[in-house]
Amino acid sequence: MTVVTGMGTVSAAGLGKARLLAALRSGTPTLAHIDRSDGMHHRTSARLAACVEPEALRGAAAPTDARRMSNPSRFALLAACQALEDAGLPIPTEPDGERAVVVATAFGHTAFTQQMFDQILDLGPTLASPMLFSESVANAAAARVALATRAAGPNLTLAQGEAGPLLAVARGLAEIEAGRARTVLAGAADEMNPLVHAILDRFRALARARGDQPERARPFERRRNGFLAAEGASLLLLESEAAATARGATPIARILGAWSAFDPSAPPSGWGNGVDRLAARLRRGLTRFGRSPGDVDAIISGASGSRAGDRLEALVLRQAWGGQPLPPILAPKETTGEYGGAFLAAAVLAASGERWGSASDSVDVDPELGVGMSTLPLPATARCFLVTTLAAGGPASWLLLERP
Amino acid sequence: MPPARAEVAVTGLGVVSGWGWGVGKLDAALASGGTSIRPFVRFDHERYPTHVAAEVPERRAASESVGREASDLSFADTFAIAAAREAIAGAGLPGDLSNHDAGVFFASCTGGGFECESFYEAWRGRNLWRGPRRLLASHPVSRPGEAVARDLRVTGPVETVSSACASGTLAIGLALDALRTGTVDIAIAGGADSLAHITFGGFNVLQAMDEQPCRPFRAARRGLSLGEGGAVLVLERLSEARRRRAPILARLEGAGASGDAHHMTAPEPHGRGAAEAMARALRDADCRPDSVDWINTHGTGTVRNDLAEFHALEVVFGAHLDALHISATKGSVGHLLGAAGAIEAVATVLAIRNQRLQPAPGGGGIDPAIRVRLAREPVAASIRRALSLNMGFGGCNAALVFSSPGLGSEGAT
Repeated sequence: MTVVTGMGTVSAAGLGKARLLAALRSGTPTLAHIDRSDGMHHRTSARLAACVEPEALRGAAAPTDARRMSNPSRFALLAACQALEDAGLPIPTEPDGERAVVVATAFGHTAFTQQMFDQILDLGPTLASPMLFSESVANAAAARVALATRAAGPNLTLAQGEAGPLLAVARGLAEIEAGRARTVLAGAADEMNPLVHAILDRFRALARARGDQPERARPFERRRNGFLAAEGASLLLLESEAAATARGATPIARILGAWSAFDPSAPPSGWGNGVDRLAARLRRGLTRFGRSPGDVDAIISGASGSRAGDRLEALVLRQAWGGQPLPPILAPKETTGEYGGAFLAAAVLAASGERWGSASDSVDVDPELGVGMSTLPLPATARCFLVTTLAAGGPASWLLLERP
Repeated sequence: MPPARAEVAVTGLGVVSGWGWGVGKLDAALASGGTSIRPFVRFDHERYPTHVAAEVPERRAASESVGREASDLSFADTFAIAAAREAIAGAGLPGDLSNHDAGVFFASCTGGGFECESFYEAWRGRNLWRGPRRLLASHPVSRPGEAVARDLRVTGPVETVSSACASGTLAIGLALDALRTGTVDIAIAGGADSLAHITFGGFNVLQAMDEQPCRPFRAARRGLSLGEGGAVLVLERLSEARRRRAPILARLEGAGASGDAHHMTAPEPHGRGAAEAMARALRDADCRPDSVDWINTHGTGTVRNDLAEFHALEVVFGAHLDALHISATKGSVGHLLGAAGAIEAVATVLAIRNQRLQPAPGGGGIDPAIRVRLAREPVAASIRRALSLNMGFGGCNAALVFSSPGLGSEGAT
């Protein structure tokens, strides 16, 4: 069995899991006004995002060359160092060939890519900065983590939109179980710059203010109209339970299984109607890992406030449960936002025994969906947690966690 | 659940490259020793220091391969779908895999980056709502793999690797894993990338591009040449491939990966990380280094990369390196970045199937510091087992071991 023995997280809530947990308990996302001065946003478009405060990074332990890094690299590096410290593992002086790194990203290092393209257009290709190029590649964050933590095992960057963070954990699990790595740093890193924010809004993906309704994500609610864009990084330290026990480490969560699927009816930037097949894949995964829907004590849903995405999520869950009552559901993306991995960190916090309820005490559940978020903290007895993510474009991924 | 060490067969291949649309064109070209790297027309490169790339020709062929929807897809998506359809047809599988346990394991570094650049160049600083949305829809690097899954009605896992130049090899390794663990019965593995300003400009500012078509391992080499295209392999468990009498082109015996943990852009000069990836792939394949007959190298043509790769080969193969033939597909099709590992895996399978060396294009003598037997002529050779290696930015290394379908336990450790 593979366990999580350390976790690092950098989010709009700040550095570390204590700050994220406080934000989840308060139910209040930390929001910042996105810079719209470049003129790419529509006048009525979304204005907010859950961005990492530069001030929050001040004083954080980081190598001196962090100043040359893109934001996703910085976030990932800080999260990796926290995860190792949390797991009680020092950074070795020599490369460790048994430590793998798997980082998911939805959009890559967009700010540096944009800056470099601006330089090509404005200054000409010969005057563009080589430093920008080396940090514009999608795997820069994973490479920076490996460099700083001396991880010389397999190094993977996965890109599957919103499904990426859970896929990264699934890949880390596979590396441990196949014996290709002794420890894995697995998670996600992303940044939310004005260009990506404007593009997401162009696809009508983001929550907007409407009348007296403020701009915020409302998973499963009748009035939901999009998600909250976010940035940050969250990385988990994975190892076998036997290895953790042998070195006296205390697991935060146990990973019972991870699996994924695809809905080919989904358009490239939207959600499809493949409820039957996705539900069948979800049930099949539970069976493969020795569980049935009735064994799941709580669902940590990837519902984000997207109209079509939340609808598909609700229908898949209802279908998978076959008419039986669903267990309590939490949808942390109302606080964490979408992207940056804080959702993954929230799921692990729940599986570790931390408790919180919905942000809103009067959730206006969409009657068409037939599911709603738990307004009360999950019961203390909850042990088995299903973590779900359906991504725009068709990917779906699930994770089954257990409280140790 | 299949046995943990199920044997895996390659049953289909598909390619779009600088040589055109289809495996046949690449196969013929690899035997010719020629190069598809030449001046290109995709975008204006007058202000760049270099002016050659292996551009996919015959845009008209896209609509023949993919259909009318090609006009709404990015170049990378089009290459990916065309290669996947060819591979699936070659494997004798239906174009709708919704009733199979199939998965897509894909690689890309730029996705629809070129189309996004076109959008941005036209609309930066202006309200994006007025620009054509379709140019942005393909931007994420996950899109080519998702386009393949959508086209083939795949309902199993879809995973996209974006680990620079090692992406394609890593994706094929994930596919091997998924077949061994019984996660899928059919794995569509490959990659796709297109030429883009960012990569063409980026490698130029790093001064890593050759003004001439790249010359891997040659003394006069000056850098890499970019290419574009897509490459796909259909992988199945050998037992299932035999049961349905599918063409068995080769066996995929093992995969290995490592990280240099050394530098963001430069390879570890002694090739330690690359050597470790090859050693892991050989261990995974349960075979000895001296059972390998041919190596398809990463062979970019950059001064430091080729030298580091040679050192890695020395570490793993020792004296056997003198008996080995090596080649470098990039001299023929350029560097396909995310798809490089995939097209080089296809080339490796072709070498095994044809039992013929693939001469490495590029004139001039071999670097005296690099003591390798670079294939010069497309002569017949016994290629029972072959290794394909890739080394990427950020120190990502990955290797695959393929063997001929008829090879028994020869060379087992």
